[in-house]
Amino acid sequence: MADTPEAIKKSVRTYLFVGGVLFVGTILTVMVATIPWMDVGKHGFDKWDAILGLTIATIKASLVAFIFMHLNHEKKAVYWLFASGLCMVCSLAGLTALAMWDPIFDPLFYSGH
Amino acid sequence: MEIPYVVTPRKDTGLFNSKVAIWLFLASEVMLFGGFFSAYVFLRIGADYPWPERTLPVLPGLINTFVLIGSSVTVVFAWASLKMREWRKFQIFMGITVFCALVFMVLKGIEYNVKFHHQALRLKDYSIVEGHLGYELKEGVDPHHAGELKDEDYVLNHNGERVEENVIYVEASKLTYSTRRFYKPWIEEMLTQAEHHDSKIVLAADLTAVTKEKKAPELIAKAGAPLSIELMDRIQKIHLAAAAHNSALRTEALREEWKEAKKTHKGVSDWKYASEVNIDTKALEPLLLTEIPSVGFSVDPPARLDFAPRDIKEAENSSVLRDDTVVEGKLLESPMGFHYVDAIDFQYLVMKAEEKGLDPEVAIENSWLYKNHEFVRNAWEWHRGEIDKLKADLLKNYGTDKDGNPKREPTHKELYRMGWQDFGKMADDHGNAKVSAMDQLGENFFGPNYHARGKETFHSMEVPREQVGFASKFMPAWNTYYALYFTITGLHGLHVIGGALVLAYYLFFGRKMYLSNPEWLANRVEIGGLFWHFVDLVWIFVFPIFYLM
Repeated sequence: MADTPEAIKKSVRTYLFVGGVLFVGTILTVMVATIPWMDVGKHGFDKWDAILGLTIATIKASLVAFIFMHLNHEKKAVYWLFASGLCMVCSLAGLTALAMWDPIFDPLFYSGH
Repeated sequence: MEIPYVVTPRKDTGLFNSKVAIWLFLASEVMLFGGFFSAYVFLRIGADYPWPERTLPVLPGLINTFVLIGSSVTVVFAWASLKMREWRKFQIFMGITVFCALVFMVLKGIEYNVKFHHQALRLKDYSIVEGHLGYELKEGVDPHHAGELKDEDYVLNHNGERVEENVIYVEASKLTYSTRRFYKPWIEEMLTQAEHHDSKIVLAADLTAVTKEKKAPELIAKAGAPLSIELMDRIQKIHLAAAAHNSALRTEALREEWKEAKKTHKGVSDWKYASEVNIDTKALEPLLLTEIPSVGFSVDPPARLDFAPRDIKEAENSSVLRDDTVVEGKLLESPMGFHYVDAIDFQYLVMKAEEKGLDPEVAIENSWLYKNHEFVRNAWEWHRGEIDKLKADLLKNYGTDKDGNPKREPTHKELYRMGWQDFGKMADDHGNAKVSAMDQLGENFFGPNYHARGKETFHSMEVPREQVGFASKFMPAWNTYYALYFTITGLHGLHVIGGALVLAYYLFFGRKMYLSNPEWLANRVEIGGLFWHFVDLVWIFVFPIFYLM
């Protein structure tokens, strides 16, 4: 934990650097979405653009979480708390996806599927 | 008693209280926003209409992203300054953070305001028109005259506001109000409109009612009495009193019948003889008071009244309002009047056509818009030329695959939608209105500058009511994309306001605590900062998902 003034002084440079990376990441996100030659996959928006955009967003979010929110040197309890929230969201999304793409169905009920 | 562990961490977790609390809270916030984001994914994947891709202007969202990232940096610097006992620096950094929050909300407010004033219309054939509605002008005022229209040229409603050209006109001859449900502002509006047309709304027939048991009916109001809120309130009071009285009488009568029935059917289950237990309505009749469920008024002479489309279910001779008022009279021509059309979108129409196996271009040429408006035909002709150029460019830059098909093709949106930028480019190509760089910058925030670009770029259009499928401003009602956009960004905006208030509290009222217990203040600012970073984190996902995809 960056508690002592000396440690905090060191962290300030890291914060500035990460801030800069976040700015660059934002510009990169917009470039990837708007510049034609940076368009991955098919022309226009497709799943590869979504994957690329969300990957950049996840990297940026991770930097905010690990550096700004000090998750890189937090205590176990905090990891458990945050991870439980993340797991819950993944279950929410995952179980809903399972319900929508359920391989087991009654053909008579789901006519037309 | 001093609360333990506000500064000193607990030995087991190694954390002070508020840190555990904030992470627990952030876990719940992850659930909240995660739920909304996953709802977005499912709604998008399962959408039965063309999903609006990249329809929001990117620049305000981009600036907001920079603002929030910057504020995330300054809030952590503010915390660092407190840890190093530099009060002045803390004030400066925290001040910048709160200011960034303010800038964020102002930009968001501008974005929302622009959206709420922008009109969308889906016609019955699924073609979509977007633009700005005109306002009702007084009779005799020429909308296309040379000078600027003045305030007095516009029709005003009873609130003194201009009326948008999206109203249903009825030549009302009779109005029947529901005594229970009549909506007072609408009655006031109808009275104002009738007065404007030199018409009077008067009671159609004498209204009499028995107001006391076993007494003769009394005259409540004579035929010809003018409609007023006071009269309706009086009638409502009499009706509600009568209804309450009658229902109490019936309840008591039923109770007596049950008592009798139970005596005569001793030992038998009550459901077996329940069908025989009925009140003697004939005996009760002399005791009942007159209920007045509705009151009829004549409009003399019949006047043209206008109603908002969402308030009326219109029909040829008898329309019904949402408060159950029946408006009898002829339904008049009630077109939607677009002052400026800034987008024509055939994507939905094409989607429906492709589902039926029809050729998209044929479907477009058979659409109401194409058949009835020359500017749409001209614009589409130009647009086809642009698509040919785009196809040629894509072929030149990316070539063909092994089957000889172009590797890249225009998207559905490029093929079948003309947005305001396309109309602008068309106007440029035809040598029409040029827009200054400043105006172009403003367009990123406020939408197309109609005054600078003019009627050569954006045309006016009237759409007959029969062609209107669904009309709405760009708000949650329009489609699920906007519903989620406003929900998520609105909720996020509330979080920004909440976070900013907490941080502002530390900024303006933290001095006392700083002098008495600076480490505790530093901890609280750290916690506030954690919440602020989470708000930034959510926006890091909101921006690409809603603005770029």
